[in-house]
Parts: sequence; structure tokens; C-alpha cells
Amino acid sequence: MKDARFYGLTALGLVLFPFLIHPIGGYPGLATQILIVAIGSIGFNLLLGYAGLLSYGQSMFYGVGGYMALLTISKFFPDHPNFWLAILLGVGFVTLMAVAIGALVVRLYGIYFALLTLAFAQMFFFVVFKWRDLTQGDDGLQGISAPPLSLGFTSIDLTGTFPSLDLGPFGNLSDVHYWYAFVALIMLLVLAFTRTLIRSQFGEVLGAIRENEERSTFVGFDPRRYKLAAFTIAGALTGLSGALRGLYETSIAPDALTVGTSGDFVIYTVIGGVKTLFGPLVGTGLIMYMQNVISAKTDAWRLIEGLLFVAVIVFLPGGILGSFKRKRARTILAAAVAAGPPDAPSRAAAREAAP
Amino acid sequence: MAQLPGQLLDGFIRGLVYVAIALGLTIVFGMLRLVNFSHGAFYAIGAYVGLVVAQRYGLVAGLIAAPIAVAVFAVVFDRVLLRRFYDKEPTAQILVTFGVAIVVEESLRLYFGGTTRTFPIPDSLSASVNLGFTQYPAYRLALAAGIMLLVLAVWLFIERTDYGLIVRAGVRDRTMVQLLGGNVKQASTVIFALGAALAGLVGAAASPIYSVDPGTGFSFLVPSFVVVVIGGLGSFWGAVLGGLIVGELQSVTTLVFPAASDVVIYIAMALVLLVRPSGLLGESEVIRG
Repeated sequence: MKDARFYGLTALGLVLFPFLIHPIGGYPGLATQILIVAIGSIGFNLLLGYAGLLSYGQSMFYGVGGYMALLTISKFFPDHPNFWLAILLGVGFVTLMAVAIGALVVRLYGIYFALLTLAFAQMFFFVVFKWRDLTQGDDGLQGISAPPLSLGFTSIDLTGTFPSLDLGPFGNLSDVHYWYAFVALIMLLVLAFTRTLIRSQFGEVLGAIRENEERSTFVGFDPRRYKLAAFTIAGALTGLSGALRGLYETSIAPDALTVGTSGDFVIYTVIGGVKTLFGPLVGTGLIMYMQNVISAKTDAWRLIEGLLFVAVIVFLPGGILGSFKRKRARTILAAAVAAGPPDAPSRAAAREAAP
Repeated sequence: MAQLPGQLLDGFIRGLVYVAIALGLTIVFGMLRLVNFSHGAFYAIGAYVGLVVAQRYGLVAGLIAAPIAVAVFAVVFDRVLLRRFYDKEPTAQILVTFGVAIVVEESLRLYFGGTTRTFPIPDSLSASVNLGFTQYPAYRLALAAGIMLLVLAVWLFIERTDYGLIVRAGVRDRTMVQLLGGNVKQASTVIFALGAALAGLVGAAASPIYSVDPGTGFSFLVPSFVVVVIGGLGSFWGAVLGGLIVGELQSVTTLVFPAASDVVIYIAMALVLLVRPSGLLGESEVIRG
């Protein structure tokens, strides 16, 4: 896709999203939540999809990002609550965490990598759970409203809404909070960043390491440095996701750090499609939307999610978007085969010309 | 420190439960290079089947029904789904077994409700025994003895039977065993069912001590990973040693520094993975994939 088309279509999609989910049982607040969580899924896809590393510990970055952002407001700087500072400390701390943990975990492969990331996430869970003085234990941090977003010349209260404008079946413009616009802008930046990254040499080397690590070493790359970079970027994005979630919800509890949360990132990304830019966003959106609609009707929601997950792994290993991509590639290939090899006519002509 | 002997005994018994769960996990990994995230689900299914049968026909019937039901489930799961993933990369195996674990947990939640169930202890075992240093529940001692016998039986099965021979050889070199005509596929189904039945039996047998809820599977699965990693993935005696270490580590830390009692086993696991990924008793092969 050309750059202009990419930015145009993505921006258009993000603008329409909160209205398009209105007639099918969604609401703009859900759109905001989806985009926030999807930032973490996109980060996770850098690991699982592009670097081939299955981390079962993303919850530690998500949860700690959320706790750090809210603690910045309520505990570290209660006299000068600042939105940007909360994000900065949340993402900054998680990034340092990711560098330190990443330096240790990238030495391992496959199941050992998955289990070591799981072990670290469990450590952070229990530290947050038991450190009541700082984290309030299992009560979590509650009712910490985010300060207005200062832009230098003015500041915006993100909980404010757009002016009223009736949009018929698509709800009302005033249903949408400024939060959505802010998060959509960040999503656009995250997508642009990830797209640049996976198209760069960095992305290609990562793919080479995933496919054959030994060979990539022979060619002269240091796989651990690339994997550490991927782990750190994924951690930072997941931390950003957690920080935004905490600020948006005005609360966070230890369940953000459970194995279940790590598993959610896995489920979203795999269902949407690993190794695709939009797959994690689509998977996160689809599952969170379905959860919202279906769990209101039946208790069996998690069962349906589990069955869907297994079905995708068995029948659509590339996920929803991955299978689209493969089908398209196959159509192009089929067309090429139907057209025949390019030199076929000339060879036939040569045979006819021969005596 | 007066509670120390009692705590050590608690840790020993909890450790034995971990051993029984981890054995299935480690044997299946050793043989199939398969990491089974749904192994905890076997424990949970065993616990619920045991509960239902025991309430109607008594504890012994429950202890017989649980492993059989779980073994049947495991064989179907293996034949229908898991077999397709034997030759896939480990991440795909982790994902599919993780998915099945969710499906099992949620099915149990739908059918039995989310509440915690407790298992009745039969009158004959509800007394406590004077061990000199402490009064100790008779059921726990019976459980400990039962698990030790089980471990011995599994060890004999692997060491002394033809299936065991194929299993042990399959751990070393699967392709060679196949070339020599050993039926690795059939043996691996038997081993898979055996490991599952073991987890199911312990699920039923341990539930009078540790209560049962739909999340039980995951809450025993994660420590079981710690156990097999510390002992060495694929190692029989590694699982035994790892289980006892984890059980005692939890118990002793509860006494000395309660706040760290949960976190300590993950620190131990991370240390082992970083210093000696093949575990205490695992063979130090190249840890890849």
C-alpha cells in the first residue's frame, strides 16, 4: 500500500469506527477500550508474529504500566498531577523493565522462553498483590481521575464530549468522548511506527532470525540484540496500552497482571492474524466486541471464545487477516499460472519454425 | 519454630501432589517434545468427576472413576486434535493446548457453577493421628502414602515393561525407535493417557484437602511448570525432586516470610532457567525450539 493511501484509509477507518459499531450493539466507549488494548496486541505481535517469540508475560508490562501511571498522579506527584508525566513514567518504567528482563529472556527459546516470561509475570503479580502500602493489594487503585491533557496553549478534559449532532442509526456525535480522538491519534501513530519498523531492515532481520537463527548469525547479525530490541519495543507498547487503560478507567486492580491477561493478548493476536499489521487490531476488536455483546446474553461467553480460539488455530493458522492474505497470494499465483510461463509462446514459435 | 515439623510435613504432601501432576507433564514432554498447557485441566476434570461420583457411591468409587474418565478424555483429545500438532513448532502446541484448557475450564464453570466445592472426607479417614511432634489428619497421611506408591508404580511401568522401554528409548531418539519398528505413536497415546489419568486421580484424591473450583486447573498447572522446569523438563526423578523442592519452599517461606510464599517459587524457576535451563536432573542437551 502506498503511504498516502495507508494513512488516508487508516485515519478514515478510525474516524468511522465508533459510529459503525453503534448499530451492531457497540458504543463509542467500547471503541476507545478496543483501541487502547489493541496497542498492546500490536506490540505483542512484534514478538509472536515477527520475532517468533511466544511471551506469556505481557501482563507484567500492561499491569505495571497502568499502576505506574495512576501512582504518578495519586502518590508520586499528587500536588502537580500531569497527564503526560503519568504516561511518561508509566511507559518509561516499563521500558526499563523490558530491557532488564529482555536481556535475560532472549537467551532462551520456544517453551523455555514462554515459561521464563510467565515466571517473571507471576513475580510482578505477587509483588503488586502483596505490596499493600503502595498498591492497595487486591483492592487495586480506585477513583484516580486523569488530569486534563495539557497542550501548552490550552488543556483538554478528555472526558468531555463532542457537540451534539444526530447521526441516525449511528448514534450521536456527542456520544463520543475526546478520549476516543486522543486514543485514535495514538493508534494511528502506533500503526505508522509498526509499519515502518516491519518494513525496515530491522523487520527483515527479525524475520530471518525467526526462520533460521543460526543462518542469520552466519550472515553477521547478532540475534539476541534484535530480539532484545523487539522485546523492549513490545514491552513499551504494552506499557503504553496499560497506562492509557489505567488513566481511562481511573482504576486498576491486580487482575491486570494475571496469566489470564497475558493469555488475552495471545488470543487477540492469534485470532486476528500474526504477522499482519492490522491483525492484532482486528482480533482485539472482534473479541472485545463479541465479549461485550454475547456476555450480556449468556454465561458461555468465555467458552465460545475458547472454542473460537482453538478453531482458528486448527483451521486458520494465519488468523483471520493472515488467511485473507494467503488467499490473495494464491489468487495472484493462480492468475500467473493460468497465464503460462512468459517464454512459452516464443518456444512454441521456435519449435514451429524448426525444420 | 514450633510449627516447623508440621509445616515441613504440609510442604512434603503438597510437594507430592505437585509430583503426581508434574510426572505426566514431564513424561509427555520427554517423549513427544510436547508442552501441554491443558494438563491442569486433567486435574480439574478428575476433581469434578471424583466429586460427583464420590458423593453418590463413596470415595473409592470416585477415585476409580476419575482417572478412567480423564484417560478417556485425554485419548480423544490426543487423537482428534493434538496429533495434528506433534510435528508443529512448540508455540503452536502451546497455543492449542492453552485453548483446550480454557474450553475445559469454562465447560466446568457452566456445568458446575463458579463456586468452590469441598469434598467430603470419609469418616474412617477423618481422624487425626498423633505423630509425636504434632497431631496430623489421617487423610493427608493416606494421600501421601498413596502418591508415593503411585510414583513407584509409574517408575516400574517405565522401567520394567515393553511400553516403558519404547518410552525410554523414544525420549532418547524417537526416529530411531520408529525405524526399529517400535510403535511410538501407540506408546505415546498410552503415555499421554497415563499422565492424564495420574493428574485426574490426584485431582480427585487431593480435593478433600485443596478445595475445587473451575480455575483449579490453571492454579495447579502453573506451579507444575515450575516443578518440571526446576527438576528438568522430561526427567522422571527431576519431577519428583522438583515437586518436593517446590512444596517445601512454599511451606518454609510461609513460615519465615509469608509475603514471599507465592513469589519464591517463581524466583527459583527463573534462576534455574537462567543458570541451568535443562534443570537440576535434566540432560543438558541443546535447549532449542
